[in-house]
Amino acid sequence: MNAAVPAPLPERPLPTPTRDSQPFWDGMREGRFMVQHCTGCGKARHYPRPVCPHCFSMESTFKEMPSGGVIHTWTVCHHPFNFFFKASAPYVVALVDMDAGVRVNAPLRGVAEADIKIGQRVKLGFEPVTKEITLPFFVAG
Amino acid sequence: MAHPLREKAAISGVGETAYTRGTPKSALALQLEASLAAIADAGLDPRDIDGVVPYFPGGGIAEDLVANLGLPDLKLSVFVPMGGATCVAAIQTAAMAVATGVCKHVLISVGRTGYSGARVSTRLQQFPQFALAAEFEAPIGMFAPAQLYAQGARRHMQLYGTTARHFAEIAVVTRQHAILNGNVVMNKPLTVEEHHASRMISDPFRLFDCSLESDGGAAIIVSAADRARDLRKPLVTVLGVAEGHPESPASIAQRPDLLEFGLAKAAPRAYDMAGVGPKDIDVAEIYDCFTFTVINQLEMLGFCKKGEGGPFVMNGRIGVGGELPINTHGGLLSQGHVVGLNHVVELTRQLRREAGKAQVKDAEVGLVTGYGDMGDGSVAILRRAA
Repeated sequence: MNAAVPAPLPERPLPTPTRDSQPFWDGMREGRFMVQHCTGCGKARHYPRPVCPHCFSMESTFKEMPSGGVIHTWTVCHHPFNFFFKASAPYVVALVDMDAGVRVNAPLRGVAEADIKIGQRVKLGFEPVTKEITLPFFVAG
Repeated sequence: MAHPLREKAAISGVGETAYTRGTPKSALALQLEASLAAIADAGLDPRDIDGVVPYFPGGGIAEDLVANLGLPDLKLSVFVPMGGATCVAAIQTAAMAVATGVCKHVLISVGRTGYSGARVSTRLQQFPQFALAAEFEAPIGMFAPAQLYAQGARRHMQLYGTTARHFAEIAVVTRQHAILNGNVVMNKPLTVEEHHASRMISDPFRLFDCSLESDGGAAIIVSAADRARDLRKPLVTVLGVAEGHPESPASIAQRPDLLEFGLAKAAPRAYDMAGVGPKDIDVAEIYDCFTFTVINQLEMLGFCKKGEGGPFVMNGRIGVGGELPINTHGGLLSQGHVVGLNHVVELTRQLRREAGKAQVKDAEVGLVTGYGDMGDGSVAILRRAA
């Protein structure tokens, strides 16, 4: 390889919003945690999808919900299965039971690995990564 | 009344290639090599195959099998899109086909270049079942099964006190079995200390908690039991078989209980069909994509209570000569990763008493599981027929 030509930076994997999930990603961009709710029975569902599995209604609305929750479990990713994440490894990914009644999986920042516990309170943060896409992360809260 | 599929089908032939890391052969060539071996093992001619369930994606599909094996009159071509649960679930599909007379001999086959071809992080993008993970989890740094399943393992450890020592026991015993088998990728002994010192992949999974990325092929023939009786090898019948699909099948993250998956539904159905329970199982080949996955499945299968899978595997219980020998061929952890079809090959050989140094004495009834696609499960109970 010619040392004068730096290797291209690895591309960050980005979501491709769908017709069903677009309102969620629009909310993320605006710093709002938008969760799909069934118009028929009122139940929340995530990830977004066309039909309510409880009452089979196809009508739904996205409502802004509180950004807090408690840790359900976590992992610490050491091996970067995608080269983009090599620089940030090891990184913690926490699965969180949101107060909104759904789960969110996102990086947990600012908490030492030894201090992580099931049931610990965290809150959602919003990190813009492109003009269109903002990704979630958690901090202690 | 007996289940209408009970003992109507048999595993009449099994075949596999060498398991390696590195091969010049294509996945299709590996699949065909194993298929020809399985057909010869059954004492059949390739032209006798009239149904196929190829593992997909990877390797060949029905068109390739017809073109290469000269199948003159294929009557059934189906995929069973369940990831690692595919191969055992395909036994149910094949059993339905031969029991109803649609087919006589169904070929289930896998060819994989998991080492020399596409590796795990890219390969998964081919699965439509992983679309949600690609949209919501890959962007935050969760790609591979090692990461996605690690969160369940961590929760099991926190709730029930399961430890890395329990994980190591699975890795070490499985390696001992691999060495007995010989046709394996990992052929040197492994110690508990070496397991604990191996690099962390995604906590709590270390390198030796993870299955291999390897090259190889495996195949089995499922025949109508009354036809298989007259074939070359001792009759091994399908006593019970079932598949199960979890809640939130495409996202582990959204599943109410991360430790409850498809096998919890499939296992009672398979036991009911077979008319046997966990105490009747002489040998078990458990899908071992990760060490912890074996512990979790032993619980779903009723060998122990939920949360007790860690202590259950200790003290020699799961070794050849123990109370419940597990993964007597070396499994996905040490033999090779052909999506668990090697587990079916091994169980069939155990029941035929062809398992060599790893033979479980007097094995009559055995169990094999599949696990994959974020939690689909499958289980077959096979019996050495009288």
